[in-house]
Amino acid sequence: MKRKLLPLLLALSMVLALAACGGGQSAATPTPEATPSAAPSAAPTPEADPTPEPAPALSGTMKVVATSEDYVALFDVFTQETGVKVELLSMSSGEVLSKLRAEGGTPSADLWFGGGIDAFMSAKEDGLLEQVTFDASADLADTYKDADGYWFSKGITIVGFLVNDALAQELSLTAPASWADLTKPEYAGEIIMSNPAVSGTNYAVVNALLQTLGDEEGWTYFEALNENIAYYGKRGSDPLNKTGAGEYAIGISYIDRGVEAQAQEKGLTIVYPSDGIPWVPEGVAVFKNAENVEAAKYFVEWLFSSDENLRMLADIDKKDGAKLVKPSLEGVELGYDTGILMKEDLSLFGSQRTEILERFETLMGDKAADE
Amino acid sequence: MNKHGTSAPPPRPQGGGDRCGSAGKGASLDALFRLFGRGADKLVLLTLLGLVCLFVLVPIVFIVLRSFRGADGLTLEFYQTVWQQYRDNLWNSVFVGVCTAVLCTLFSVAAALFLATRQRWGKLLCMAILLITMVSPPFVSSLAYIQLYGRRGWITHRLLGLSWNPYNCWGVILMQSISFVPLNALFLNGMLEKLDTGSLQAARDLGAKPAAILRDVVLPLLGPGILVSLLLSFVRSLADFGTPVIIGGRFSTIASEIYLQLVGYSNLEKAAAMNLFLLLPSIAAFFVYRALMRQTDRLAQAGRSRQEALQLPLRRCGAAGVLILAVSLLFFLAMVLQYGCIFLSGFLRSSREGYVFTTQYLKQLFTYDRSTMLRSVGYALIVSLAGTLLAMLFSYYMERRRVPGRHFFDCLVTLPYMIPGTCFGIGYILAFNHPPLKLTGTAVIVLANMLFKQLPTTTKICSAALAQVPTSLERAVRDLGGGQWSVLRDVIFPGLRPAFLSCFVYNFSSSMTTAGAILFLISPGRKLAVFKLFDAVQVGEYATASLIATTIIVLVLAVEGSVYALTTLGARRPAPKRS
Repeated sequence: MKRKLLPLLLALSMVLALAACGGGQSAATPTPEATPSAAPSAAPTPEADPTPEPAPALSGTMKVVATSEDYVALFDVFTQETGVKVELLSMSSGEVLSKLRAEGGTPSADLWFGGGIDAFMSAKEDGLLEQVTFDASADLADTYKDADGYWFSKGITIVGFLVNDALAQELSLTAPASWADLTKPEYAGEIIMSNPAVSGTNYAVVNALLQTLGDEEGWTYFEALNENIAYYGKRGSDPLNKTGAGEYAIGISYIDRGVEAQAQEKGLTIVYPSDGIPWVPEGVAVFKNAENVEAAKYFVEWLFSSDENLRMLADIDKKDGAKLVKPSLEGVELGYDTGILMKEDLSLFGSQRTEILERFETLMGDKAADE
Repeated sequence: MNKHGTSAPPPRPQGGGDRCGSAGKGASLDALFRLFGRGADKLVLLTLLGLVCLFVLVPIVFIVLRSFRGADGLTLEFYQTVWQQYRDNLWNSVFVGVCTAVLCTLFSVAAALFLATRQRWGKLLCMAILLITMVSPPFVSSLAYIQLYGRRGWITHRLLGLSWNPYNCWGVILMQSISFVPLNALFLNGMLEKLDTGSLQAARDLGAKPAAILRDVVLPLLGPGILVSLLLSFVRSLADFGTPVIIGGRFSTIASEIYLQLVGYSNLEKAAAMNLFLLLPSIAAFFVYRALMRQTDRLAQAGRSRQEALQLPLRRCGAAGVLILAVSLLFFLAMVLQYGCIFLSGFLRSSREGYVFTTQYLKQLFTYDRSTMLRSVGYALIVSLAGTLLAMLFSYYMERRRVPGRHFFDCLVTLPYMIPGTCFGIGYILAFNHPPLKLTGTAVIVLANMLFKQLPTTTKICSAALAQVPTSLERAVRDLGGGQWSVLRDVIFPGLRPAFLSCFVYNFSSSMTTAGAILFLISPGRKLAVFKLFDAVQVGEYATASLIATTIIVLVLAVEGSVYALTTLGARRPAPKRS
């Protein structure tokens, strides 16, 4: 008989389990109600200086979508200082944007940390971001923040080439030195880049080169480059990984100290193109209508007001771009000369995105159909 | 009530000693069911159909609506763009689907015949390989393929000195085919075990050669199963996005383009329209499948399973036999290599000098992700138990009761099988992100999504098992005065016991390994192992990805092993008491 009862018991236990999950949920949601009292003290901090005001009475949990889980160390410090628990989930900026649009104005996270700035610009346009104002924002360079305070940037990503030494030697290729070199026929089928729709880094390449070369010459360039591209990876890390594994000789990839270390380990040469380095700011923003808006807003202020926090971030990011974002920042020095960065009008990154990606899709498609 | 109460539990003659312990409880439940009479039955049915509508129909309706939503009012523009832009991709999808279906079925039939004709150790080994490889964590198989057969592959480059381009449609077809084989092969093997040995015997006595027996008896009897394998693989291939994303290179299918729309362009409307576009070939395949499934049910009723090997020496079956041997050996070898590669990769660190053995990834995993692993197992257990129960009840009402509109519900429940998981997940966000039913960010939305994504398969398993339970038994229970509860308890649930194990195993391994929908539904603080796996693949931490995959495989096998032990022990316990 006992075994006959088994299905029933199982059913019962599952109903209980479901109820437990549901219960845990409802218990966790009402937290933001506790914060409104803190709201006035969080927004305008009267005397602004490197060290922000002592943490206002924030509470609950701040949910963060970030490009990597490595930031947990930074958020741990935030938790220690404010008592706000942080839950971190890593998502690419495209996934975040899709999710935001599907959620239609009731986001399931509070803070958006990292990712190409073009996604942040679209989100602002769709009215999905919350305005954040704080005094220390005056210290941030205008280029790297939204004029209305809807997004800020925590640094910039720069782009270069990775060349697999062993494979290049085997194929007797000389390393390309510039963007112009990449279209040489000898590199046919040996270059890998990510689809610009998926990778903010490679979107920056397309937009920056179009701005530098002008529309007509720019598109001619990408048509020529397309002939040499083996395929467009659907993940941002593809160029680094595929050149690292020796599958392709040349990758168009983001460069930071982490990449430098990998290059050392795997025998890759890093090339900073002589005709200019495309770059893209990495965004930070608060979601509109988020459950714990106050904590997220305070986090933005907390991060940018303190040099110490920014230094820690630069350390985790293995990048020095924070120095560009906040020129007064001490203890972080740029590893490159800003002169080699391409001239970019960032406002075009957002406004031209759909149009450029559509044209790029047709361009890529033509090659696919030939095969 | 009193009248019924006195006559309620007729003494059950066949009930052994194991039953008396809780007979009283069963009787009172029966009485309870009788008290509420048809009400309780209706309530169960309505709850069931309500859940299906809520978690399958509603999200899909939301996706459909979204595909018509333009900047101002209703529009067909997305369908126009999709038709113009993705006709080639649809063709690619169908082409890959057909090739995969054929190749996969070829492999599956060969592997099933090979398995069925093995004795003891050979059988055990093949069975073990199939059971392990049935747990297939997403993405890592494709990564192993690149690792083994890529431009710098361990086999193609290091061993054979080749340097070829693995990123094309043939790679996708090959990987999809191989990864669908274990399930199909086990299904076909199940049919072979039930094959009527009499007809084989008769053919042999009449002097038929093994090759003729294979051609004229065995394969025709497997016919319906072969067709089912073809169609299931076809539909599965259409919805699979992971393989083309990772090894498609320039080649893309509709499913991989939908993924790109979601993560790259964030264009929900277009992605929704593309999904409905993809449903065309899937639904066509489904109707063929339904027609054929009825035939298989009839076939499955014949015979009981045998334990001994099929008496069919493949070596003496002529060209077909040699082909079967070659193909199945190739398949098993490929599987051993692929999974060996996954297991190994978790412990290797590549550097300029070559590979170094390391346990650093293992340590990282154990330090940071223990809770994630435990949560995954917990979720998978809940989904398995709830999903199996739901599938049993659903198939019972669909198969045995004349529920109005049952064909509609049967089709409805199958839809999630045909839609790529990413879009089913988006449908859940669209449907459950506002009051009255705000589920986003909770565990319930993740659990429900997994459950209903898997329900198509589990209901099919249950329906097939139910077809073997004669309706006369049900009538007998009623004639003896048993109520609805007695029918369920004494006829339906015991009859479904073999299905319980299959459903549980399928639910559990799918819950641990399906990534598509979860990507958009998971909330910070409630990570699952498969999400960590996806993340590691995205970032390019292949060692970590392989290690998570290995952990998932080990966990799934451990849990399934214990459930198997529990159910078989439970089933065997009464025997000694009786004797």
